[in-house]
Amino acid sequence: MDNSKIAHHISENFNKELEDIRNKVLTMGGLVEEQIELAVKALTSGDMELAELVIKQDNQIDDFEMEIDAECTQIIALRQPAAFDLRLLLVVLRVINELERIGDLAERIAKMAIHLSGNEGRADQYHELKHMAGLVKDMLHGALDNFARMSIDGITDITRCDEQVDREYASIIRQLITQMMEDPRNITRTLDMLWTVRALERIGDHSRYICEHLIYMVKGEDVRHLTQSELEQRMQD
Amino acid sequence: MDSFNVASHISGQFDKELESIHAKITAMGNLVEQQLSLAIKAFTTGNIEMAAQVLKQDDLVDEYESIIDAECVRTIALRQPTGCDLSLLISVIKVTNELESIAAKAEGIADITIQLNQSIPADTQEG
Repeated sequence: MDNSKIAHHISENFNKELEDIRNKVLTMGGLVEEQIELAVKALTSGDMELAELVIKQDNQIDDFEMEIDAECTQIIALRQPAAFDLRLLLVVLRVINELERIGDLAERIAKMAIHLSGNEGRADQYHELKHMAGLVKDMLHGALDNFARMSIDGITDITRCDEQVDREYASIIRQLITQMMEDPRNITRTLDMLWTVRALERIGDHSRYICEHLIYMVKGEDVRHLTQSELEQRMQD
Repeated sequence: MDSFNVASHISGQFDKELESIHAKITAMGNLVEQQLSLAIKAFTTGNIEMAAQVLKQDDLVDEYESIIDAECVRTIALRQPTGCDLSLLISVIKVTNELESIAAKAEGIADITIQLNQSIPADTQEG
C-alpha cells in the first residue's frame, strides 16, 4: 500500500492516526460490500436467515460511522490540518456517510428478501438483478480500492459504469410494469422487486458520489452535479 | 440564533465568516423548503410549468451546497477552530448535504409530475 500521501508528517502519531482512520474506513467498506453481497444472495436464494443476518449486521455499520466520525473531528481539532490532510479527513466524513446509506439500502434489500421469500421468483428476473448487483458491487469495490490507494487513476471508468446501471434499472422497471399489467396478482410481489432494484440503483449513485469525493480529496475540485461527459472533460484538464 | 454564537470571537473577521455561512445556509434551507412545497403543489395540481420551475431551480440548490461547503472548508483551514466552532462548521457541511438530498427528492417529485401529466392525455385519447 502506498503510504506516501499520509506517512510524511513530522509527527509519527499523526501518521498513525491517519493510517488508523484509513484502515477503519476500509474495514467499514468491506463490511458494506459484504452486506450487499449477502442481501442479494438472500433475495435470490430465498434464504431468510441470511436476510436476518444482514439486518442484524447493519448496526455494526452504524457503529463504525459514529466511531470514525468522532475520530475525524477529534483529529481536525487537535492537529489543525490543512490542504490534503484536511481534505482527506473531510472526505472520510463524507465517504462514511455514503457507506452508511449504502448499508441501509442493503438492509432494505434484505427486508424485501423476507417479503418475497414465500413467492416463487422468476429465474430470468433474478438473472438480470444479479447482473445489476454485480455492476454496483464492482463500482463500490473500485471506489474503495481508489480510496485505499489515495488515487483517482481511472476513476471515470467507475463513474461511467453508473450509466450502465441506470440503463439496466430502466430496463428491469419496464419488465416489472409489463408483469403487473399481465397479471394484477403479481403487483405486490412486483412492487417488492421494484424497491429492490431501486435500492441497487441508489447504491450505484452513492458509489459514484464516493468517487466524486475522492476527486475532491486528490485535486481539491468540487465535481459534484456534473454529467459523465463534463466529469471526463474536467479530469482531462 | 444561539448555536450560531457568532459574535463571541476575538477576531471580528471570523465572526463575519460565520455570519456569512449562517445567512447562506438559512437561504439554502428556505429555497429547499420552497422547492418541496412547489413540487408537492405541482404534483397534486398536475401543473407541469410549476414542475419545470422546480427542475430549473435545483441547480441553485447545488450551487449553494458547493459554495457553503467551500466556505466551511476555507474557514476550518484558515481559522483552525476547535470545540463548538469546529462542530458547527462540520455540522453545516452535513446539513447542506441533507438539504441537497431533500432538494433532489423534490426534483424527483417534479420529474414524476411531468411524466404523469404528459402521458395522461395520450392514454385518455386511446381509451
